[in-house]
Amino acid sequence: MHSSRLIWERVAVSIDNSANSTVGLDVTGLTVAYNGVPAVRGIDIAVAGGEAVGLIGPNGAGKSSSLLAIMGATARSGSVRINGRDASGLVPEKVVRLGIALVPEGRHVFADLSVKDNLRLGGVARRTKAGAHEAMDKVMDVFPILREFAARPAGLLSGGQQQQLAIGRALMSDPDVLMLDEPSLGLSPTAVDTVFEALAAVRAAGKAVLVVEQRAEFTIAFCNRTYVLHDGVITLSLKPEDAENVQILTEAYFG
Amino acid sequence: MSQFIQSLVDALSAGAVLGLAALAIGLVFGVIRLANFATGEIITGAGYALVLTWDLGWYVAIPLSILVAVILSLLMELAVFSRMRKAGPATLLIASFGVSFLLQRVYELIFGNNVRSAPVASNLSQSVDVAGIRVQLLSVTAIVLSAILLVLLQLFLTRTTLGLQLKAAAADFTTARLVGIPASRVIGLSFVLSGVLAAAVAFVLTTQSGAVGPTFGVRITVLALVGAVIGGIDKISGALAGGFVVGFASSMLETWLPQGAGNFRDAFVYVLVIVVLLLKPSGLLVRGRGAVRT
Repeated sequence: MHSSRLIWERVAVSIDNSANSTVGLDVTGLTVAYNGVPAVRGIDIAVAGGEAVGLIGPNGAGKSSSLLAIMGATARSGSVRINGRDASGLVPEKVVRLGIALVPEGRHVFADLSVKDNLRLGGVARRTKAGAHEAMDKVMDVFPILREFAARPAGLLSGGQQQQLAIGRALMSDPDVLMLDEPSLGLSPTAVDTVFEALAAVRAAGKAVLVVEQRAEFTIAFCNRTYVLHDGVITLSLKPEDAENVQILTEAYFG
Repeated sequence: MSQFIQSLVDALSAGAVLGLAALAIGLVFGVIRLANFATGEIITGAGYALVLTWDLGWYVAIPLSILVAVILSLLMELAVFSRMRKAGPATLLIASFGVSFLLQRVYELIFGNNVRSAPVASNLSQSVDVAGIRVQLLSVTAIVLSAILLVLLQLFLTRTTLGLQLKAAAADFTTARLVGIPASRVIGLSFVLSGVLAAAVAFVLTTQSGAVGPTFGVRITVLALVGAVIGGIDKISGALAGGFVVGFASSMLETWLPQGAGNFRDAFVYVLVIVVLLLKPSGLLVRGRGAVRT
């Protein structure tokens, strides 16, 4: 089912990787099944440092399952390498320590804890204990609202603010790979802008970004390339200039 | 009037102790969805340690009882519950019944069916005058001890990174792990804290009765479980509040029910529980429906 276009993309990525081979995410043949029913069927995703890759597709296509499987939060087969290191068989708290972080769907901030405590917990997985304090300062520079509401229980923040907190919490571990599951879900247009500006900055800082989204056009335009996931299989790989191509999008979702 | 205040102090103390027991259950439940019925046998173990070593001095007996409770708690986690991580709450509860009955038989084998007794902290069983009202020193001690433990626990949960990790894991275990909080660390920690609380409960109970038998911890654990459920076992504060309410109500009923009806006070407590659960199926402190754990 892999289109020839996808194969070309992967060749291009592997060339990119040779330049900066240590930073990034490399997934091959990822398969996830729930009670024997396959949700993800042997997908390949590569994201190098300094790029953003999108993952779009209809509901139930296996997008969230893929991200959770990469984190080791669901049983999986296939190979997952983070910063060149094998993540197979590792539990989520170990996978995080290879230098990857997931901003889960629905944000999942710790509602009863303060904004600051949420960020502190994000720092638990730091690979070097030094610099946790500076990391919090940096996160609060990116999202000033988190500094303003540092003492407030996270559950009292608005959806957009909680999304900023969830991303900030993920950045506290200083990951090289940042994955986000539907970061724009339920947010106002301004809040979406804030979130994606931050993601652009994360990418510009040389980190690898993998983002699952519902907003296809937006994602395709933002990402260096976007994979379309359908029934657990990647059916298409799109470039930013494809964002306006209605036919490709329609095919991607319904084809 | 003075009789009322006396009964109020007793009820506060009973509520405080049951609150601690419910908290011991709630802490573990929050993290791994185990309503550990064998918490009773941790209390019993700590109770045996107290009565059997009391004549060596309180400074030996009390630390030893805490140690026994913590080791028992960790041991049942390692030997049984850690092997059932994928099991649902119902399966875990049944497994904890198994652990409970097994330990009761073990106690019977080692210490016999008769109670072992010792005058544990016997100087606490006297009454003191407070502003002209006679109150049991033990009741006051139980209230103060519970208050100190709660303050310490609260400080630990809110001021230390380790405590925050436990709180986060109790609130949302999956996300806690995704953030990088090690599951084994917070689970172990919850069993340790549960053991410490069980030891505190055992201290108050042995001081009251001076005698420990194989089923010493069963009654309070049943009531604590009930309390945790009506308070909302999902939340640490819910378990504590529920335990307190049940202990308080039970003690008040014992004092104020008419002669003869006092023997049935547990029945009255359960009627109260049924009413609460009919009105608020997911617990007093939980808004709307309880959280679904997927």
